[in-house]
Amino acid sequence: MEHRGLGLARPGLAQKLATFWDMSKKVIVEYSRYPVAFVALFVQVFVIILLFMMSSFAFAAPGTSRGELSGFAGMMTYGFVTSMFLGFTLWEMGFSLREEQVRGTLESLYLSPTNKFSNLLSRIFAIIVWTTVMCTAAVVLVNLLVGGLPLQNVAFGLLILLFSISGFLGIGFLFAGITIKLKETAQLLVNGLQFFFFIFSAQFFPFSVLPQPVRDYVSRWLPVSYAVDLFRTTLLGIPPELMPNDALAEFAIVVAFGILSPILGYFAYLAFERQARRAGTLGEY
Amino acid sequence: MADETVGRGIGLGRPGWRASAGVAWTVFVARLKIISRYKGAILLESFLPVFFAALPILLGTAVAGNEQNAANNFFQNTSSMGQGTSQYRLYMLLGSSTFMVVSLMLWLIGYWIRREQETGTLEAIYLAPAKRLHILAGVTSYSLVRSLTAFIVAMTIGSLLFGVNPLDGNLIAAIGYLILGIPALWGLSFIFGAMIMRVKEANSVIQLIQWVVPFFMGVYFPVTMFPPLMRFIAMTFPPTLMNDAMRSALLNISSLYGPGYVVIGLMFMAAWITPLLGYEFFGLMERRIRRNAGVGQY
Amino acid sequence: MQEPIIRVDHLSKTYLSKERKKGQRGKKKVHALDDVNLAIHDGEIFGLLGPNGAGKTTLIKCLTTLLLPSSGDAWINGYDVLRQEDMVRASIGCMLMGDRGLYWKLTGRENLDYFGALYHVPREVRRTRIDDLVTLLKLSDFMDRTVETYSAGQRMILAFAKALINDAPILILDEPTVTMDVPTARELRHIVKELNRQGKTILYTTHLMHEAEELCDRVGIIDHGKIIALGTTADLKASISTEDIVELEGIFPETTVRRMRDVPGIRDVVVTPMDSGLTKLDVACENSRMMLPRIIDAVTGNGASIQVIKPKEVTLEDVFIAKTGRTLSVDTRVLGEKEARPRGG
Repeated sequence: MEHRGLGLARPGLAQKLATFWDMSKKVIVEYSRYPVAFVALFVQVFVIILLFMMSSFAFAAPGTSRGELSGFAGMMTYGFVTSMFLGFTLWEMGFSLREEQVRGTLESLYLSPTNKFSNLLSRIFAIIVWTTVMCTAAVVLVNLLVGGLPLQNVAFGLLILLFSISGFLGIGFLFAGITIKLKETAQLLVNGLQFFFFIFSAQFFPFSVLPQPVRDYVSRWLPVSYAVDLFRTTLLGIPPELMPNDALAEFAIVVAFGILSPILGYFAYLAFERQARRAGTLGEY
Repeated sequence: MADETVGRGIGLGRPGWRASAGVAWTVFVARLKIISRYKGAILLESFLPVFFAALPILLGTAVAGNEQNAANNFFQNTSSMGQGTSQYRLYMLLGSSTFMVVSLMLWLIGYWIRREQETGTLEAIYLAPAKRLHILAGVTSYSLVRSLTAFIVAMTIGSLLFGVNPLDGNLIAAIGYLILGIPALWGLSFIFGAMIMRVKEANSVIQLIQWVVPFFMGVYFPVTMFPPLMRFIAMTFPPTLMNDAMRSALLNISSLYGPGYVVIGLMFMAAWITPLLGYEFFGLMERRIRRNAGVGQY
Repeated sequence: MQEPIIRVDHLSKTYLSKERKKGQRGKKKVHALDDVNLAIHDGEIFGLLGPNGAGKTTLIKCLTTLLLPSSGDAWINGYDVLRQEDMVRASIGCMLMGDRGLYWKLTGRENLDYFGALYHVPREVRRTRIDDLVTLLKLSDFMDRTVETYSAGQRMILAFAKALINDAPILILDEPTVTMDVPTARELRHIVKELNRQGKTILYTTHLMHEAEELCDRVGIIDHGKIIALGTTADLKASISTEDIVELEGIFPETTVRRMRDVPGIRDVVVTPMDSGLTKLDVACENSRMMLPRIIDAVTGNGASIQVIKPKEVTLEDVFIAKTGRTLSVDTRVLGEKEARPRGG
């Protein structure tokens, strides 16, 4: 059968990159028309920091100076940075997909030839940029509160953070697929997941606080735990908690997480989506 | 009736108090049916307060070095104004569970409005002659049932997990304070819902509430730790009053607001004023929206 | 004299719309309704026609109390729309937002029960009413499944059932047959006529001419927020002067066309080739019925053959074009363009 062309479409790498950029821009434009969303994100960060810092003051021995809490504050703050990236990835993937599901634009998106990976990534691109800004602000705030945070091996720390974010993206892709399946319940799930990682990946406190069985049978099995642990202990200049004698192995785990997670997460997403298309539920919300 | 047109009755409709009660009941039942068709929703929200409480408990142990130090330090840091307690686990669990009630009451109303706006059912409701108040009564009753269920389940699971016994304190008084605090929460939820209807954005506002409210409620620490102005603002917030009252009952500590009769008096006042203000604000926003593009615009 | 059951007096609605163009934001005043006056008689089916953005939906939303008008008054079923909103809403059954306005996690039956309660229909009466509607609209196959499993057509039928749940004396139906298949749409129109025979007043908006012509006792055409024409379909068609035109389809050689042009009384002959290979002739003349025998005489012979011959009917679309200079519906315009295109062009 003779091919009749693709109308005005011009597939090719340049156009695909341009499409990716346009899709990312769409997210930014949408957010800019919801100033409440921007303000909410910003205020949230400050409030979370204040909430946990004040909690920690309540448990400090009376008379302890703020400066003496800096080591603990560093543990909490750098862990908070990882929780922000993970949390916003999950929220953005889940919620933006949910919004499209409810409004019916998800079906429209699926009618287009746009690459699904590009579609998912474009949702998160703007959020990652904004989250970086907010986390920097959070670190500055804590610095002011405790009069200086330990900060070492910055370049290596950032490299670990990069692999960690890549790994979180994979979890986000998986979650996007789950949203297609579970719809409304996925939004509750994201809350549950966030708190699950808060605790079992010890994002706000040292792993030593968790009971040994929890550490051994839950925390050590979560790649996110290694990402959190290595990132903050690198910046604090102390040995990692989970594998104190083998930092290189922990680094290998984080790198593997960063590479494999997005690939596996994306395939999981495709599987959920295929299932929805087979069942005809893509347009259902 | 106006002479400008003929009148032909209103078909099968029979307005009256029975019909109004029927509206609230039908809305209540419909919302329960809808949520029951989302698998796992109720279960998940019963576990959230447990996670929420676990965070500061573990945090506290990390800061203090061990559990005993955590208890001692917490007691000394909370002793001002007669609020000292070493039962920090129960303190956190109760705060988190109460916060879950507050959060659900605010979230469910606001989210309900936004979802109805998006799916078009808000317009359908506005086309019906049922009064908004009766429809809201149904939705708020539903949110109350969901909140209380989450509270009881969370307290039960949390008590077993953290090894605390809430029955040691005055449970009846605590439940009494909880019930007395509910009308004020409804009032806040009307304000919240009106804002969401106007702003047409629920998620960011809910995310914000998730952290700002527990901060001002003093879920993890007494609000006496705030600087004076912040303390004043926090103490005028009805959920803070409710949380503090329940804590004083269950943990046998003094309330920040004074003797029991003062607490009850303040809660009664909040129970009247807040819903009236909230409903008025809701009506104001609604009229504003109808003057412009209508409730159907989402 | 027929008494009005819906009356609109000098109704206007203006609102501010946010505009965003590259780097610039502003607000624009939109006059959605401009001094609308209307009286809909008790027991009639009144059609409201107009293109998208004409003000149909705005007018309906003002009448159903969803929108507050900027100025003017309206009365429905003896109640003031601005001061007796609850009674106005109780007087109307509405189908305004198509298949939106249903709860997807409830079954069809549960949806009807829910909305029935909101319309203050007592429980026992509701049950009977729902059963009656299930029978009337043939809903039994899907009534007890959740709406999320319905097709678009099924949702529309359920939305129509919702409009009937309180058996109100007035029905307001906003493009109810959109997304319905042809048999279902036909069935719905049949039911609408039956409901009207039972005494209901129906305000029906559509952009499908044949629907308006089939159903409506009177029609109002709205454009740019104003009622630009109002009357029965016959009166509206008669209100515009058109040439008598006889349409012929068939095979017509050049000689036939020339011969026809020479016939006294025939003003012009427009030739349009059709995709089917036939040719369409639009013969403009003084009195089509009187000229018909002469036209047939002129065509007969010389290899000509007539497949179809009929006087051209004036449509509501023609009325709209005459009043505004624009077409009412996109599909009508596109169809017209396709037929006018020369073959092979």
